[in-house]
Amino acid sequence: MSGISIAIMGAAVCAALAGCGSALGVMAAGKAAAGVTSEKPELFGRMLVLQALPGTQGIYGFLTAVLIMVRIGVLGGSPAELTEAQGWAMFWAALPMAVVGLISGIAQGLTAASAIHMTGRQPDASGKGITMTALVETYAILALLTSILLVYGIAL
Amino acid sequence: MIVPMKKVSLACMKEDRAAVLKALQKAGVLMLTRVEDGVPSGGEASANLRRMDVLLRRLKPYRKKRSLLEGLPEVEEAAFDQAGEEGIPYAGRAEELLAQRDALEKELAGKRAEADALRPWQALSAPLEDFAEGPYAVNAAGSVPARLAPLAEETLRRCGAAWETVGEDPRRTRFAVSCLKEAAEELFSALKDLEWEEAAFPKEQGTAAAVLARLELETAALSAQLSQTEEALRALAEEAETEFSLLYEQYRAANEREETPLGETLETVYLEGWARADRTDRLEAAVCKASGGVYSLALRDPAKGETPPTATKNNRIVSQFENITDMFSSPDYREPDPNPVMAPWYWLIFGLMMGDAGYGLMMAVLILLGKKLLRPSGTVAQLMNVMLYSSVTTMLCGVVFGSYFGETWNPLWFSPMDDPVAMLIFTLVIGVFHIFTGMICKMVQNVKQGRVWDAVFDQAAWMVLILGLGMLFLPALQAVGAALATAGALVVLFTAGREKKGFLGKAAGGLVGLYGITSYLSDILSYSRILALSLATGVVGMVMNMLAGMIQGNPIGWIFSLAIYVVGHVFNLALGLLSAYVHDCRLQYIEFYGKFFEGGGVPFRPFAIRTNQIRIRK
Repeated sequence: MSGISIAIMGAAVCAALAGCGSALGVMAAGKAAAGVTSEKPELFGRMLVLQALPGTQGIYGFLTAVLIMVRIGVLGGSPAELTEAQGWAMFWAALPMAVVGLISGIAQGLTAASAIHMTGRQPDASGKGITMTALVETYAILALLTSILLVYGIAL
Repeated sequence: MIVPMKKVSLACMKEDRAAVLKALQKAGVLMLTRVEDGVPSGGEASANLRRMDVLLRRLKPYRKKRSLLEGLPEVEEAAFDQAGEEGIPYAGRAEELLAQRDALEKELAGKRAEADALRPWQALSAPLEDFAEGPYAVNAAGSVPARLAPLAEETLRRCGAAWETVGEDPRRTRFAVSCLKEAAEELFSALKDLEWEEAAFPKEQGTAAAVLARLELETAALSAQLSQTEEALRALAEEAETEFSLLYEQYRAANEREETPLGETLETVYLEGWARADRTDRLEAAVCKASGGVYSLALRDPAKGETPPTATKNNRIVSQFENITDMFSSPDYREPDPNPVMAPWYWLIFGLMMGDAGYGLMMAVLILLGKKLLRPSGTVAQLMNVMLYSSVTTMLCGVVFGSYFGETWNPLWFSPMDDPVAMLIFTLVIGVFHIFTGMICKMVQNVKQGRVWDAVFDQAAWMVLILGLGMLFLPALQAVGAALATAGALVVLFTAGREKKGFLGKAAGGLVGLYGITSYLSDILSYSRILALSLATGVVGMVMNMLAGMIQGNPIGWIFSLAIYVVGHVFNLALGLLSAYVHDCRLQYIEFYGKFFEGGGVPFRPFAIRTNQIRIRK
């Protein structure tokens, strides 16, 4: 396999897995939010905020993928000549975001669903629910930073 | 700052109860506490409120839907005070019309059911009134399932009846039957075994077709009447739109007054509560006016075991940030208000997280527009103001880091996109200062409470240690850093276990205390999210620009690219705002407040008029 295609594989896996994680997470939160909204339509705004929280992993995955594309010259420029070793390096660099994005997206979605149920019972607690849900995201952010630093750290 | 509270005990004559409660509700300065053996006065308001609730629910389909931009209808305070005289006739008229509508609907449904039952018999030649018991013969109409029709005809023939089949229904065969009285009993009992169902004709004269035509005319007339009534309802709902909401809110306020339990003696009623020390004059004025001067009002400072509610008072800018603290927890009455310290940090970190001059400008414009159109109040208004202020830091950070709608252009310092490691270090330094601010707050609290050594051992030592560790990364200061870090670590090691008993306990306490370095490290690393979020905003913006750029080959492409610019950047702005809001809050709640803020206060929520369907103009 040529280096560039391995690097592209990394970008693709990263965007795909993190996107899946967010999709599943937003779905889990959305189902809970739909339930609460059916009873209390006035809470729709708060529900929307909570439902959107697990969506960030998909963005981070996408962000990492774009940075890889920029770095290897697939976007805006001419593709760089990558050795196989460099290609694999890019692939492994993308992996933290891909894996953590998938799993933390789902985990955050489940937390968001619980926070949504809590907000349904006690609308004033939505701030606390948002904070609890945001705690899960820390690990996606750490994975994103790892991936970004690795992507920028690889010598091409 | 936390507003000092006064404990209020108020007594007035029984006959002034309603007037005093009304005045208190209007003034909105007293938070009632539970009076032992308190009794609510009760009254008509709860029944009225229920009636109005039902009416509004039934009237809902006829009321105009408010668009989000319109806001709530406004009512003068004076109009709110007049006890519903304006709205009552409207409510009565609406109830009348609704009753009329229900009667019409019921009648219409009856006629329709009759017509539906009659429709299959349209071809029946005999008039309906003939289907009855005569002197010699019985006439009847009815049906059996189609599969049993041959058996039914057999039975009819056996009993010597005359019959005709009516209409063509593949499921049921309908018969008009005439037989002699003597044979009737046998015939109908035999038919019953064949699932015979007798037709129920309306008591009308004429053939089925004629009756049906008449019924249809009547239905049409009824529907016309019904739509007229509904039109009248719609017109009424529009004419008295504000009056209905006003009446509802008036009853709600009255109900709250009537449900408030007050202590009672033979001649007087009394209540207790909390009032802000700076507003007791308003309380006194309201009570004095309502009771005609016959009252007793005692104010005293909170006693030691009591937990007064918390109200915060800050300048116009800081007060907008109070809601962020309240979402976490209201400050305890006896601790200092964290808002003045938190607000500037929130403001700065929000800007760093957004970090784009273009988006900052968009925020400012959109929020100013939103404030103008929506005229928000309460926490929504506060949140909008927080974002409006933060748009300034967002623009500043955008200029410093050279980010304009995701494009990098002439950064004053450096671009995080080109040098993420430098930005990472910068965010961690910001984090250290933020955490230090929290620790200094704790030190001040400790010193104020006379625990100077706690301040030195628990905060100052750690700050020296962290500062020293930080200096280790700078070659020039490495020696100083090592010395500071060692000194700090030694102090922590020898003092963290000072509350424990025995030498072993103290030693273990010191080691465990030193292990706390991991929590400081994870707190500081947590600030790397500032880099992640600012990169996310920047890169997604950049991708939008790239996508738009790709299709700018011809004029049509140009038009589409404009749409991509607008939709893409608005989408990115919305996501960025949500993330920045949430993660900025998190940094304040966990990393910052964790260092010094206790919370757990009860928010001050005075007895007041709270409307959600109208807005009262003072």
